[in-house]
Amino acid sequence: MATTAIPRRVAYPTARSRVYEWLTTTDHKKIGILYMTTAFTFFLLGGVMALLVRTELAVPGLQFVPQELYNQLFSMHAVTMIFLFVMPMFVGMGNYIVPIQVGAADMAFPRINALSYWMIPLGGASIMAAFAFGGSPIGWTMYAPLSATEPARGVDLLLMGLVLLGTSSILGAINFLATIFKLRAPGMTLMRMPMFVWVTLVTSVLLLFALPVLTSGLIMLFIDRNYGGGFFDPALGGNPILWQHVFWFFGHPEVYILILPAFGIVSEILPVFSRKPLFGYRAFVLATASIGALGFTVWAHHMFTTGAVYLPFFSFFTFLIAVPTGIKFFNWLATMWGGQLRFDTPMLYAVGFISLFLIGGLDGAFLAVVPFDFMVQDTYWVVSHIHYVLVAGSVFAIFAGIFYWFPKFFGALLNERLGKLQFWLLFIGTNVAFFPQHLLGLDGMIRRIADYAPNAGWTELNFLSTIGAFLIAASIVVFLWNLFITMRGPREAGDDPWDANTLEWATTSPPPPYNFEVLPPVRSERPLFDLKHGAVTAHGVARPAARGETHGEMREDAPEERLGEPVEGHEDQQGEPRGPAAEVSAEAPDATPVAGRGEPDVAQAQTEDRAKPTKPEEHS
Amino acid sequence: MHPDPRACLRRSISLGVLGLGTLLLAACAGQTSQQTTGDAAPPNFLPGEVVTQQGRLSADLYPIIFVIAVAVFLLVEGLIIYIAFRYRRRPTDRDLPTQTHGNNMLEIAWTIIPAVIVTGLFVLAMSVLFQIEARAADPDVEVDVTGFQWQWTFDYPEEDLSFTGAGVDGPEMVLPVGETVRIRLQAQDVIHSFYVPQFFFKRDVVPGRVNEFEVLVERPGTFGGQCAEFCGLAHSDMFFTVRAVPRAEYDTWVAAEQERANATPPPPASGPPPPSGGPPPSGGAPPAGTVVETATTPDAPLAFTQTALQVTAGASVTANYLNDSNLPHNIAFFQGPDPSAPRIAATEVMPGPGNQQSISFTAPSEPGSYYFHCDVHAQQMIGTFEVTP
Repeated sequence: MATTAIPRRVAYPTARSRVYEWLTTTDHKKIGILYMTTAFTFFLLGGVMALLVRTELAVPGLQFVPQELYNQLFSMHAVTMIFLFVMPMFVGMGNYIVPIQVGAADMAFPRINALSYWMIPLGGASIMAAFAFGGSPIGWTMYAPLSATEPARGVDLLLMGLVLLGTSSILGAINFLATIFKLRAPGMTLMRMPMFVWVTLVTSVLLLFALPVLTSGLIMLFIDRNYGGGFFDPALGGNPILWQHVFWFFGHPEVYILILPAFGIVSEILPVFSRKPLFGYRAFVLATASIGALGFTVWAHHMFTTGAVYLPFFSFFTFLIAVPTGIKFFNWLATMWGGQLRFDTPMLYAVGFISLFLIGGLDGAFLAVVPFDFMVQDTYWVVSHIHYVLVAGSVFAIFAGIFYWFPKFFGALLNERLGKLQFWLLFIGTNVAFFPQHLLGLDGMIRRIADYAPNAGWTELNFLSTIGAFLIAASIVVFLWNLFITMRGPREAGDDPWDANTLEWATTSPPPPYNFEVLPPVRSERPLFDLKHGAVTAHGVARPAARGETHGEMREDAPEERLGEPVEGHEDQQGEPRGPAAEVSAEAPDATPVAGRGEPDVAQAQTEDRAKPTKPEEHS
Repeated sequence: MHPDPRACLRRSISLGVLGLGTLLLAACAGQTSQQTTGDAAPPNFLPGEVVTQQGRLSADLYPIIFVIAVAVFLLVEGLIIYIAFRYRRRPTDRDLPTQTHGNNMLEIAWTIIPAVIVTGLFVLAMSVLFQIEARAADPDVEVDVTGFQWQWTFDYPEEDLSFTGAGVDGPEMVLPVGETVRIRLQAQDVIHSFYVPQFFFKRDVVPGRVNEFEVLVERPGTFGGQCAEFCGLAHSDMFFTVRAVPRAEYDTWVAAEQERANATPPPPASGPPPPSGGPPPSGGAPPAGTVVETATTPDAPLAFTQTALQVTAGASVTANYLNDSNLPHNIAFFQGPDPSAPRIAATEVMPGPGNQQSISFTAPSEPGSYYFHCDVHAQQMIGTFEVTP
């Protein structure tokens, strides 16, 4: 089956001003692109801050930025990357892709969707404006009493900006949950959803429960700062540790919010580029749900050195959360095992993610050992861990998703050679920048310091780490160039350049305003794969598995789908026997019957199917 | 064009070697550190020397976790590399590969085995934790540590000694080797953290809370420490040292310090000139140049003696500040009621005693109440200067 391509000049009419269209759109695809573009801009800003930090740390001595500015820079770098880059980037990708993957025409609440987006630049502006008011030199963790007593007004701008962003996230989470639960295509049961949709579901639950806690904390801090409150002031009967509990109760689910979508993207890419289904779909779903649930039990592992938390409980659950993550790792490897791997850029990033996120995860296992945490908490060991999971983890997955879905968004594949160059620069740069930091932390170099002693022995590794940071920057320059030349080039990617499995590839690139002219039948987690490889017909008829084939994911409890024969006891509401509606074929004149009732030669139909080119010649 | 698989392979290997080489370079740069602070060996994959009994128990966990982590790392990375080469798509691949959806036995295996490993690690870690958190019935030495922005005070309640650090080096805590020392931590302003890497240990210093821990230092030496919880402007400079000496030498040190504390004469009544507060109260036309003075004395090392100064609007002011304490101070004047306002002028941060500073500036033209503070101790040392018309 095919969806008639709608030319861009029709899909984006020039009758209306383009700018007005983009400012007022409620279309999830445009909002998705707005989110992603805004997020990427903040990525560049946050990256510049990182380069300033690393340049200062390259050699001992304060040559470059004074202490005051340094403290503002490292604080703002983290806030920017977490709240203004990774979160909106994943929300943007989800915004574009999730409704299409579930076969919906848009998100459940399009106008709230637009509102959620516009809170991002507004909140971001408030946060960036902090630099003009003394910055916010309190770390992204904003520990009281320092955050409550820091005189710089920039802190209040940060708090207000974060409250706005948190509200945006909460609204977005509700929107995703409503879309996923209520707008799925017929036939798409929960256990037939793409894994990206599953992780979006769990991430939305985490957002819903975690962000209000952060917002409450921010408001308490605002009251302490501006209205004589004493939540965190011991002189007034408050407790600084209360801030840490409130913050980390949000903060730990937050890091799963930052990584679960990455897991989802990798789980989308591996099956396509291995030509095999995701191994252990059910296990993946359970593992994702477990990580989400366990993520709420471990928050105080950030507080082991406070002397104020019950160490055995939090240590145990921190160890435990490694288990579902490990399950995912092994299932990914098993997906690739026995496959036919194609190392286009999305796959390079996905495999790079697996190989390096492993290091970040193992770091976490070390940190769960409380006596070891006493040594490396607040040192560069933690900085290394953070950056392995966030850069080698989330950023790699973001680029995997960008390269994978770019042709769907814009109808053009990003340049492969530049993509591979960027990947290797980023891979090497990430390791050079962050691996030495393990050693620095183990040697006692603490974090959040503008300078270190020349005789501490840390100079060489800091210099090496700075080189890595500039390699990462170089890789981003390559990406920007790639973006530039691709957007100027022809848009000839077609519907399904990667020979993929899920519904977004069953419509045009980019999709028409309401995503599908005709919705393909959904009988497994790979509806497009089924269509292309003969497991379903355009009319939703299921072909039973031939000998030696596995259709494990197809539901056996829908017997009326077998060969379209009416089955007693399964009549529809009017009492009519179910079967393929005769009028369906008339309404889809260009639908290609692959196999179905009356078609004896399934194998022949399959060969015909394979002979049809489904993706254009590979770009060089 | 489809990339030549052999060229791709060659490229991958050479880049992999480059990456690995970088890591090995970093590792080979390290050796096990046997030195104390001052001339540190380069960092290493293994922790440096640990000098306390508790720290040693903690550090001994590291090789176990490290071996398990390396094993998992090699297993998974090895699988990735094997899979990447073995299952590469070949031009001869026409049919789909076997579409395996899952295997329940494998799922159970790779759930149970990691769960057993992490449970084992947990039990091991907890047993060490209980040992290092144990408290002696009667510690041999007690030290009360107070952390404040951006310095430390060490008090020995039984010996009646008190040391407050000055400058970047901070105070020195002298301890007897081989004896149990109980350290109590309190904060004056924001959260700090008492961290001695060679103790393999840190504990936060939290306002409103007393944290306690015990150490037994196993060999003599001088060990560096640093505040490990971001605490504001000069967090990077909040150092201290711990010096462990044999018991006899410790006793000698205690006696010497007690003698020195008793011998210091109290400041004479006619000591430094009493600070004045601006133009004479008799009023009249103020002089064109105004002198204001304030100071910090050794008795109150974290305060200005004069916290209310007076100047005339638009006058040219000379501010004299005497820092007679051990702590680094300065004085900074602001164009507003709080430090978020623009800065008018500030002196250089210098420790005393006997450090006289002077700075000249023009008073704001707008009458009102303005703010000054010490940059180093902006929470404790604040004051206002009134600008009269």
